[in-house]
Amino acid sequence: MKYIKDMLFCLSSAYGAINVRQARDIAFNEMKKYCECQKNDENMSFCGFLKGTSDYTLMLDAHIDEVSFVVTNVDDEGFVTVANAGGIDIKTLPAKMVLIHGKEKIKGVFVSTPPHISSGEIEYDDLSKIKIDTCLGARAKELILVGDTVTYSAEPKELSGNKVVGKSFDDRAGIAVLLELAKRLSGKELPINVVFSVVDGEELGMRGAIPATFKISPDEAIAVDVTFATAPDVTENDGGCLSKGAMIGISPVLDRDMTDKLNKTASDNGIPYQNEVMGRRTGTDSDVISVSGKGVRTGLISIPLRNMHTDCEIVDLTDIKSTCDIIEKYILSGGMLDVQ
Amino acid sequence: MFSNLKSLCELNATSGDEKSVRDFIIEQIKDYCEIKTDNLGNLICFKKGKKTPQKKIMLDAHMDEIGFIIKSITPDGFLRFSNVGGIDTSVMIARRVLIENKVYGVVGFKPVHLAGAEERKKLPNAESLYIDIGASSKQEAESIVSLGDRAVICSEYCETDEKIISKALDDRIGCAILIDIIRNFDEYDFYAVFSTREEIGAGGAKTATFSINPDSAIVLESTTAADIADVPKEKQVCVLGNGVAVSFMDRMTVYDREYYEFALNSGIKCQPKSAVAGGNNSGVVHLSRGGVKTIALSVPCRYIHSANSVADKRDILSARQLAEFMLKGIAEGKV
Repeated sequence: MKYIKDMLFCLSSAYGAINVRQARDIAFNEMKKYCECQKNDENMSFCGFLKGTSDYTLMLDAHIDEVSFVVTNVDDEGFVTVANAGGIDIKTLPAKMVLIHGKEKIKGVFVSTPPHISSGEIEYDDLSKIKIDTCLGARAKELILVGDTVTYSAEPKELSGNKVVGKSFDDRAGIAVLLELAKRLSGKELPINVVFSVVDGEELGMRGAIPATFKISPDEAIAVDVTFATAPDVTENDGGCLSKGAMIGISPVLDRDMTDKLNKTASDNGIPYQNEVMGRRTGTDSDVISVSGKGVRTGLISIPLRNMHTDCEIVDLTDIKSTCDIIEKYILSGGMLDVQ
Repeated sequence: MFSNLKSLCELNATSGDEKSVRDFIIEQIKDYCEIKTDNLGNLICFKKGKKTPQKKIMLDAHMDEIGFIIKSITPDGFLRFSNVGGIDTSVMIARRVLIENKVYGVVGFKPVHLAGAEERKKLPNAESLYIDIGASSKQEAESIVSLGDRAVICSEYCETDEKIISKALDDRIGCAILIDIIRNFDEYDFYAVFSTREEIGAGGAKTATFSINPDSAIVLESTTAADIADVPKEKQVCVLGNGVAVSFMDRMTVYDREYYEFALNSGIKCQPKSAVAGGNNSGVVHLSRGGVKTIALSVPCRYIHSANSVADKRDILSARQLAEFMLKGIAEGKV
């Protein structure tokens, strides 16, 4: 599990958002050690290829982008207004430190209005009301351009047991799964081709997976993402349990036979897993993958995660490992190659 | 002074648990003054100068910072806690905390996707918050933390050309200034107090002032600056870069008018604290025994009581300069 943790921490500290390719480049250089890779600079994605003994192709998808912000205004006093790029809970932002990717990397702090200013309860419904203090005064305009990206800025840390906290585990945890699988499967005889598809733009409406899937045109696909983990205000109806294994998705948009085989693979091999049942779209890349081209049989495995879209996301490394274990066994058994 | 400030801010010392800061300060000043630690943990220091002034003068800065205290552990291994000092819910949710310098946690709350449209815009009830250390059971949590353990919100000390961003600037700025005065000012005798428990009602300064029994007091503090986007000038309290803020009145103290005017006329860059809000150790200092003439010099701080307060280095230098000016002025009987 050391490799998974090292990769997760390295990717979590890196940045991957609009026009910010650091995380993508780290993942690319790592994946290159295990398979042939191809970068696509048009949409910041890349693919890795492992050749199998058949011409049947399974695509594994995970997204490299993180929730972020984009600068919409810089004022003369050095306060920056931003719009969200991905779902952000505004009330968690006051006094939070972020990183502005301008001409230089600039640390800024979301303003927190002191109590004597506000009369009564503040409503956190408008991000443009909570500006970022760059501490730069008029110089901010020279260094920051409207359209620049702003990301969280936080280093990952260990918690109790095998749990870890950090930013962007959504979906660097999924990227860590793809890297671990590339490492495990590299050089092995595989019954099917495996394409690792690392895509951008999931947080902005799964826009990276659409062209990537179209180009790869796989026979089947598994998206690897994160989902809500239970906590005092999150019941088991809303999420899965941290530490109790990968969550195999069940949803009308997912292929039922594939889901069944993923479940069977996990239970036959004694790998911890849970099911996440959704009555509609899944909110992951699998939604767009399944309807790509002539249609792709698609499965979804999600890693339970707390505090989603904050810089305090929590995952359990053992859940990432069980995700890898299930997919590895599934690939080695040929995926859906022989299941019509 | 600024390298001391960094070291001081990086120490974790919530009210009633100031040992780490106290030990650091003792190391910094032990060759310069007499030091004793009183029953409440205050450091009471006497610096012998070349001359003994008519008036007994005391300078004060508080060592403690805001944070959390662990109150109970749920069956699922989550920690329920209480604030130590005033902290706005918006600056604690979805933050990392460090408990007793040994374990990290996160202040958790109801995720936005499960909240209704109205609930989404509002802060959760402070009582519903918890600290998540990743423990899966009460037993696991109990093996790592104990009830009464303290936590602070994690922060990264950042310094730009002009500004400092950190937790605990309130009141490690005062501590850093006071250390510097002890090490460098030797014209007149004076007392210095590094006090405890300011954030929970100024208990430390109360007993320390009683022990010292001063005639005059200079309280070194930091105060809220609202010179931020969209706040009208009259509500800004004080402005970063305009010098140290001098108080005439807050919710605990009506300050000595002579001292106030003497400071404003010093020629050193400073500004009145233009709001009657908040309070600090002056509240208990000026009411000690038969009354103490008191001035508060506060460095303007944006986002005070959060993990990322912002102060201007020029204001810190102006506070250092004005503190010495007041000390000398009082000692020489000019005010």
